Amino acid sequence: MAFIEFRDVRKTYKMGDVEVNAVENMSFSIDRGELVVIVGPSGAGKTTVLNMLGGMDSCSSGTIMLDGQEVSAMGERELTQYRRHDIGFVFQFYNLVQNLTALENVELASQICRNPLPAEEVLAEVGLAHRMDNFPAQLSGGEQQRVAIARAIAKNPKLLLCDEPTGALDYKTGKQILALLQESCRGSGRTVAIVTHNSAFTQIADRVIHVREGRAQSVELNERPAAAADVEW
Amino acid sequence: MFVATDNARTPGRRRGSRSAFASELLRTIRSSLGRFLAIMGIVALGCGFFAGLQMTGPDMRIAADRYFDGTRLWDLRVLSTLGLGEEELSQISSVDGVGEVMGAHTVDSVARLKDVQLAVRISSLGPSAANSSFHAPDEVASDDPSYLNRLILRSGRWPRSSDECVASADGALTLGEGDKVELLYGSSALESQLEGRIFTVVGTVSSSNYPYTTSFGSTSLGSGSIEQYLFLAEDAFRDDAPYTEVYLRVEGAERPECASRAYDERVGEVKGRLERLSASLASSRRDELRARAQEALDQKKDEYQSQHDEAYGQLESSKAELDAGAQRISDGEAQLADGERGYQEGLAQLESQRRDALTQLDEARSQLDQGQAELDARRAQWQSGKDELLVETGAESLEDAKAQLENQQVQLKGQRGMLGMLKLFQWQVQDLTRQLEELYAVDPQTEETAAQIAKLEARRLFARAVLDASGMTDEELDAALAQADAGAERLAEAIDAADQLISGEAELKSAQDQIDAGRAEVDRRQAEAESQLSAAERRLSDARTRLDQSRRELDAAREEHRAGLASWQEGKAEADERFGKAWEQIMGAQRKIDDLELPDIYLLDRSQSEGIATYQADTRRMDSIASVFPLMFFLVAALVALTTMTRMVEDDRIQIGTYKALGYSGAKIASKYLLYAAAAAGMGAVVGIAALSQLLPSIICRAYSVVYAVPLMSFPLPVDLGKALLAGGLGVGVTLAATLAAVLSSLREAPATLMLPRAPKAGRRILLERLGPLWRRLSFSWKVTCRNLFRYKRRLTMTMIGIAGCTALLLVGFGLHDSLWDILDGQFGPIIHYDATVGLDSSANELDVSRVVRLLEESGSAHDLVRVQQLNMQAKGTEGSSGATETTYVSVVVPQSADEMPHAVSFRRRGSKGAVPFDEDGVLVSEKLALLHNISAGDTILLFEQDDVGNAKGEGHPLKVTGVVENYVGNYVYVGRRAWASVSDERLSFSTIYARVDADQGVRDELSSRLHDVRSVSTVVFSSETVETYRSMLSVVNMIVVVLIVAAAALAFIVLYNLTNINIAERVREIASLKVLGFTRGEVYAYVFREVLLLSIFGDLLGIVLGSWLEGFVVNTAEVDYVMFGRSIHPGSYLISFALTLAFALLVMLAMRHKLDRLDMVESLKSVD
Repeated sequence: MAFIEFRDVRKTYKMGDVEVNAVENMSFSIDRGELVVIVGPSGAGKTTVLNMLGGMDSCSSGTIMLDGQEVSAMGERELTQYRRHDIGFVFQFYNLVQNLTALENVELASQICRNPLPAEEVLAEVGLAHRMDNFPAQLSGGEQQRVAIARAIAKNPKLLLCDEPTGALDYKTGKQILALLQESCRGSGRTVAIVTHNSAFTQIADRVIHVREGRAQSVELNERPAAAADVEW
Repeated sequence: MFVATDNARTPGRRRGSRSAFASELLRTIRSSLGRFLAIMGIVALGCGFFAGLQMTGPDMRIAADRYFDGTRLWDLRVLSTLGLGEEELSQISSVDGVGEVMGAHTVDSVARLKDVQLAVRISSLGPSAANSSFHAPDEVASDDPSYLNRLILRSGRWPRSSDECVASADGALTLGEGDKVELLYGSSALESQLEGRIFTVVGTVSSSNYPYTTSFGSTSLGSGSIEQYLFLAEDAFRDDAPYTEVYLRVEGAERPECASRAYDERVGEVKGRLERLSASLASSRRDELRARAQEALDQKKDEYQSQHDEAYGQLESSKAELDAGAQRISDGEAQLADGERGYQEGLAQLESQRRDALTQLDEARSQLDQGQAELDARRAQWQSGKDELLVETGAESLEDAKAQLENQQVQLKGQRGMLGMLKLFQWQVQDLTRQLEELYAVDPQTEETAAQIAKLEARRLFARAVLDASGMTDEELDAALAQADAGAERLAEAIDAADQLISGEAELKSAQDQIDAGRAEVDRRQAEAESQLSAAERRLSDARTRLDQSRRELDAAREEHRAGLASWQEGKAEADERFGKAWEQIMGAQRKIDDLELPDIYLLDRSQSEGIATYQADTRRMDSIASVFPLMFFLVAALVALTTMTRMVEDDRIQIGTYKALGYSGAKIASKYLLYAAAAAGMGAVVGIAALSQLLPSIICRAYSVVYAVPLMSFPLPVDLGKALLAGGLGVGVTLAATLAAVLSSLREAPATLMLPRAPKAGRRILLERLGPLWRRLSFSWKVTCRNLFRYKRRLTMTMIGIAGCTALLLVGFGLHDSLWDILDGQFGPIIHYDATVGLDSSANELDVSRVVRLLEESGSAHDLVRVQQLNMQAKGTEGSSGATETTYVSVVVPQSADEMPHAVSFRRRGSKGAVPFDEDGVLVSEKLALLHNISAGDTILLFEQDDVGNAKGEGHPLKVTGVVENYVGNYVYVGRRAWASVSDERLSFSTIYARVDADQGVRDELSSRLHDVRSVSTVVFSSETVETYRSMLSVVNMIVVVLIVAAAALAFIVLYNLTNINIAERVREIASLKVLGFTRGEVYAYVFREVLLLSIFGDLLGIVLGSWLEGFVVNTAEVDYVMFGRSIHPGSYLISFALTLAFALLVMLAMRHKLDRLDMVESLKSVD
């Protein structure tokens, strides 16, 4: 059985009197330990997928399964627990708490979950052992995103969910981040999902899900994913 | 312009530029209604409170002014210690600027009404009170313009006869129609002013002259405070009673508000003129009184003189009579004495005569007896001689014997002759012998010798021979011779004896005859003497009787005279005394007339009327409270506006940048925000001022109406435009300034920077982190909270001040409540232990007091009796002290025994509750008095007696203060007996008794009525009555507490809502991220609200400090001289203020929770903008 499974998932938003289907009949599955890239143009519904996958939003119909749990059936409280323990989220704009140091930002996440990884170690893992006591404002964008990734990893989540993790970064830094994500997948066998509009990222993925107009247009399996460092865009 | 908006909910409508601008503004407002309302609310609160409080004082003054003018209350009052007459009245009314003038009678008295005794002030009704009509709520109309101090008839009717009265409708003790008032005793004026003593209440009135209902004035009687006022018809007063005072209105003083500068100036002007007149008033009054008194006295003098003359004429004539009698008596006495002397002399004479006669007679008799005895002896001798002789001679008779003897004698003589011759021969012989011997002896013998011898021899022989012849020897011859001589002698003798016997017989016979004749003579003389003596005796005894008679007569006369004299003397003494006294009185009266000093003329304006002055002082207190209180609101308003507008400008950064890039001027851009702020603040100001300038004054006036009888003004209350504009201007100005500050900081930035999201405020390490162990122990959310607290200093300040303000307001409210109730709770029980005060009037003597004491003791329901002397005086610090310069009314209490005093009153310090020692030398001052005059132990306090008008007299008696004691109600000076001796040497009667009485009302009523039956008991006061009065006064406070709580709540809500709102708005992404990270709801609330909560707690704590201070300020400002408020806020009040503020905070959080719940996690995915 697949680690993650979307079955006939539909998400409808009400805009005034108009109902808009952001996602329709979305079905795909992801195996444990895979690096998945969900790619599609703006408005294709990838953010909705991300939201539903991350437990930030629930689907209107269909089933979402993660590691045997039926996410789509969860109430708000369960969703919170789900986000808390099962999901590590990496935002496009890092969303670090400005008033906490790098270490504290990591601890912020690790303190609330069941089996956290030691914050210092995780930070060291992402190469920020020397900047642990710096505030976000004292860090560069890449460093901030690394803190964000560290924060997500420290929770020891079942799924590391990244929303345009390089979107706010320059090319070089973006690449480093991508490499970090890839490494975190390869090194620890964690399932990582990257949501992006950048199809170049598909090269590093084990599985690529193309989203278009609210549907999973195609799912590709990459037999030999490229190393992030080699990806060009 | 400004049409572009990023707000999706309010699609823009394109219109003309002006209206577009307006609609943009409107849209902005609508889209951020919370923010708009926050600004509006806080400005409304700030301005409203400021304006409302600022206008309260003036409104109160306006209300009073309307009331005073509407009832035509006096502007000036003229009093004279000798009263005032029509003459003075007309003098006063002729002064330039003096309007209507009304003379009035006013006296103070202790009256019994409804079974209580209290001091009342009795005044004459204005002449045309009955014809006046009352217009609501503060105006009385009358046709008589000189009817001043018009009364408002609240119920009943006006008095129609001289034994009816109207009583005060205000005050603690109100009388109803039909109640009787009995005047017991009063100030010196009572007798001269009023005839009747019992009056029936027929109506109740309000007098603008007595706006202060707690005490209608002070007096020297009773408790020292006037507790009820009565008005009597003019004819209840004596016809000859002078006016005690003259009320007058000042022309042109009606327009300016009472106690305003214009009013004071106008009244002062006229007062000055009257002051210049007062000397003339005084002398005119004096002269009039003097003339009148002199006339009466002269009449009295004449009467005296005539009575005097008559009485003394009578006395004189009766005295002359008495003197004549006395003369007669003394003459009689002299006569009597003479008589007595004569009698005594006679008696003595008689006695001596008798004695002489008897002596003579006795002598004569004894001579006779002696003669007889001699005679008898002689006779016996004679008889024996005769018998002897007869025997001897043997003759028959003496003549015979004699003849015999003479015969013998003749015989003897012959014998003798012969013997004699012989003898001669013998001697011749002897002689011749001796011659012969001599011749024989001659040798040679011569012839002659021989011849001689021979011749001699011869003769011798012869002689011898003859001798021899006789035959007898020489010796025989000699013996015969001697025998013859002796016989001759014997015979001669016997013859003599016989002769003698013969003559003796005759002699004896004649002697016997002589004696017998003498005896008869003596007897005759005795009889003669005896008859003479008895005649004299008779005469004397007659004289004795006469003398005794006249003595008795004289004694009677003397007795009579003495009685007459005594009664005369009595009559004289009586007359002397009577006339002396009368004369003394007359002289005294004359002296009084002569010494009649100029009366003191008192010229009083309204500021010297206790009630009005108290009211005005309270309005001023209101003003000073108003000047401090709202500051906090303004401060908070400014901070709220600043943070809110800063936030708004921040939100609009990109827009501002865009406009700037498009070339709009800074002013144009700023104008939007300024307008927004102005609109919010302006509307807030208008709403706040409009609402609170009506609400606050009316609430506060209503609260004060418990104490003041000033009618409430009807809505709408006058709005002081100046103050309203000031309040509004301040509110709007502060908001605009804050807005401008926020906008300017953004405008200074280059458009390009503005277009970029502002870099998030950098995290900063805070001091707390230095405490490593503690810091590490904190969870991240605590760390964030801690850091956030110091990250947004402006917000921190705003919140802290807002919350502090809220707590402070609450604390002021509750603290004020505490302070005021502490007056009662602190005073009655902990300090004052006695609950009954029994006062005896000044006439009471020791017996009366002890009777009352016994009655109390025997009642069984009263104990802990303490006798004291209570005096109403005035006190002041010494010249050098920095305290108040005015004197303060005080009750001076001198206990009979200082040791007993603790039964009645606890002397202790306020803070430590430590006992303050008090002994006979002690002088303790109550705390408020000490504060007022800046007196502490060791300082000197001056005590003044007061006159009838309530002014301090004399230089004051200095006393050294030994301690300051906690006390809340009233001002007391407790003086030990020895210490008091330095003030006055008058004996104290200790005629006030403090007692603890059982709380049962029935017991108290009975005790009270029994006490009132005792002579000279003047007051029986149970402190429960006093406490009740205060309690009703204090209910005012509850209202103010409610107002403060509402204001505090409003403040707390606005501040907290605004803060939380901004907090959330500013951290939407952060919160969304946390949510995404899997924070539970509770954790999110905690993350956001903990900060608010912490700030609330800090603000709360700050507020406690601020509130304590503010409460102290309000208490100090609001305090009156007579009362000291409690100086401590109860722990409960701290707690409740603290808790209530937190509760408000929690309530706001509760309200804000859904906002957090609604917050979309998708926000976290958005870029920073």
